Amino acid sequence: MPRRRLIITGLVLVVISLLAAGCFHSDDEGNGNGQAAQTGTDGDTGEGQEGGSVFQQVQDRGEVVCGVNEAVPGFGVSTEGGEYEGFDIDYCRVIAAAVLGDPNAVSFSPLTAEQRFTALQSGEIDVLVRNTTFTSSRDGAEGARFLHTTYYDGQGMMVRADSEYQTLEDLNGATICVLSGTTTELNLETVFSAQGIEYSPLPFEENDPLQQAFIQGRCDAWTSDISQLAGVRSAWPENQGGPEGLRILEEIMSKEPLGPAVRDGDDQWADAVNWAVLSTILAEELGVTSENVDQMAEESQDPDVQRLLGAPVEGEPFDPGLGLDPDFAATVIREVGNYGEIFDRNIGTGSSLGLDRGLNALWTDGGLQYAPPYR
Amino acid sequence: MRVLRWAFQAVFLFLVVAFLLYIWGNLTGNFERLGIRTDFRYLRQPAGFAIPDSDFRSSQSIFQALLQGAQNTAKVAFIGILLATLLGVIAGVARLSTNWLVRRTAALYVETFRNIPVLLIIIFLWSGLLQLPAIGEGREWLGLMSVSNRGIVVPWFERTGSVAVFLAVALVALLAAAAVWVWRTRRFDRTGEPPRRLRFAGGVFLAGLIVAFFLSGQPFTISLPETGRFGTTGGFRLATEYAALLIALVLYTGSHIAEIVRGAILAVHKGQTEASNALGLSGVQRLRYVVLPQAFRVSIPPMANQYLNLTKNSSLAVAIGYYELTRITGISISQGGPAPQAIFVLMLFYLMFSLFIALVTNLLNRKLEIPGR
Repeated sequence: MPRRRLIITGLVLVVISLLAAGCFHSDDEGNGNGQAAQTGTDGDTGEGQEGGSVFQQVQDRGEVVCGVNEAVPGFGVSTEGGEYEGFDIDYCRVIAAAVLGDPNAVSFSPLTAEQRFTALQSGEIDVLVRNTTFTSSRDGAEGARFLHTTYYDGQGMMVRADSEYQTLEDLNGATICVLSGTTTELNLETVFSAQGIEYSPLPFEENDPLQQAFIQGRCDAWTSDISQLAGVRSAWPENQGGPEGLRILEEIMSKEPLGPAVRDGDDQWADAVNWAVLSTILAEELGVTSENVDQMAEESQDPDVQRLLGAPVEGEPFDPGLGLDPDFAATVIREVGNYGEIFDRNIGTGSSLGLDRGLNALWTDGGLQYAPPYR
Repeated sequence: MRVLRWAFQAVFLFLVVAFLLYIWGNLTGNFERLGIRTDFRYLRQPAGFAIPDSDFRSSQSIFQALLQGAQNTAKVAFIGILLATLLGVIAGVARLSTNWLVRRTAALYVETFRNIPVLLIIIFLWSGLLQLPAIGEGREWLGLMSVSNRGIVVPWFERTGSVAVFLAVALVALLAAAAVWVWRTRRFDRTGEPPRRLRFAGGVFLAGLIVAFFLSGQPFTISLPETGRFGTTGGFRLATEYAALLIALVLYTGSHIAEIVRGAILAVHKGQTEASNALGLSGVQRLRYVVLPQAFRVSIPPMANQYLNLTKNSSLAVAIGYYELTRITGISISQGGPAPQAIFVLMLFYLMFSLFIALVTNLLNRKLEIPGR
């Protein structure tokens, strides 16, 4: 009997050692890879997960994995057919069109506010386009790299239209519904405590239970980015009075620059995503739309347009060395549209949200959307 | 042979430690590559968010916020364990009742709640409580109680002066009550006179409390709920989220405890029941003096398990917006705190809760063990 036990113990031990050896072996490999990536690439392509840039991984995979929101009308919603649509969703398509030439080569990964940075850090997603505010600690501690701001937003406060609240001070003592894990939560505390307004926050992880609580009168006001509030308002259930049943207070509580983010330390991928986004703004500036893009590419004599669309100038198309095809911008504009088109279709005057361009107008129209020159 | 056994132990320990070191190295290595911190300094940063129904201010550190979260978790766990035990024992005893209706009702309760995921019960109850009237049209009963979907408010004490004197005199009253208890016990042992310890000691303590109250200059008054525009001031408020979480956990865990109690009672030898019947004990006496004391002994280890489950299940409150440990950890992560460290700290907190519950139940277990076994 003891002998038998000895044999069994021995066997178990052998198995464990084998497993451990396997672990250490892969450890060595991992280190080797890391070093190879560091020495071989000399920093300019950066180091992604498997030693290469995400740019290369995306091209090998033939698909961009995009972290999105699925519950904000206008920015990112999943429709009944299982499709995704919205402003942020279109920017995922812009990136796919630029990198892979196909706006539909995107795999959408819906994330909650609290999950998003972990998903980005771990490499579960390639790019985060989920109405995410650019802040220093997200840039620093969360290891994210924020790219060109696609939407300049501010935090607002929404109340029922039949309530008597006109300013934030009227909300003294109120209960305020807020989405947890957002900058909104911090701004709320900052603004209200600075003004000495008493309140009680009620946090939610998802928009759906928050909406339920708000409808039932569990909270008096709902705070979020104004664009999000406008989206919620546009889709407000008819039995609750429809969009007219809600009112957004005029006060703006914060700055909320929303834009795409990628992992730190991968410059090639960051550049590609950034210029894919910038190309839509440059196109609007130059008057290139999804309708006239092919015509412009052939006929335009404007050297700026020719460079952007990759039309041959003196026999050679302009290539800024981003690793993207010279005509990537033409693909983006043809398949998805320029900034103005994307804005109007999803959140602007052509949509149920009806938001003004406001800060998001081109710099030439007094807004903040300003893209560096493409040359 | 013994040397060999020690050698195995040592090798095994080495492998475990090596494996953990490898995982840790892997994690920190990847973090360094991404430029993410691996220390715990984030705990000292100002939290920046508010926690309702507490003294916590947003300028305090994240660690303070976690302590407040632990306090809120403890508030659910402690009261939940007490109520679930009470409910479970009643339901467990009722399942063995000779009364058909009582037996069936208890069975219906246990079978229903034992078979529904607890998260569903929490969300269901919360949605139900939201159907209560909104604050403006809330119900009030005689100005004593206010019910709305913001919560249930009942009268409570309000401090108006120093309670130090009061507490000191109350402590003396407690000691006096304990002395009376011992005296009654000794007298019972000596003379066989019915001890009535609870009545005597309780009376002494209550009298002491009244004396203390007036002696210390009435340091608190009763505050009644007053309904304002946004909610009620004064009184003690049982917030909707807390109430939903607590009731759901009590109902769910209570149904499990009921089964444990039923099993434990069935495990008491039938001869014990027959013997107490032969002695002419009433049904209540039989339960109180013969069956339950023996049943409890059997049921303590599985009960401890349920207590741990209840404590850990309180983290499901993230679905309905109650500020407990998991919620606050989630907020601190999305505010720029590093996720692995924050989850590690969260695990430590729950481990402390679990160890504390295990400690208490183990002590109870040892005390109730049959001597010499």
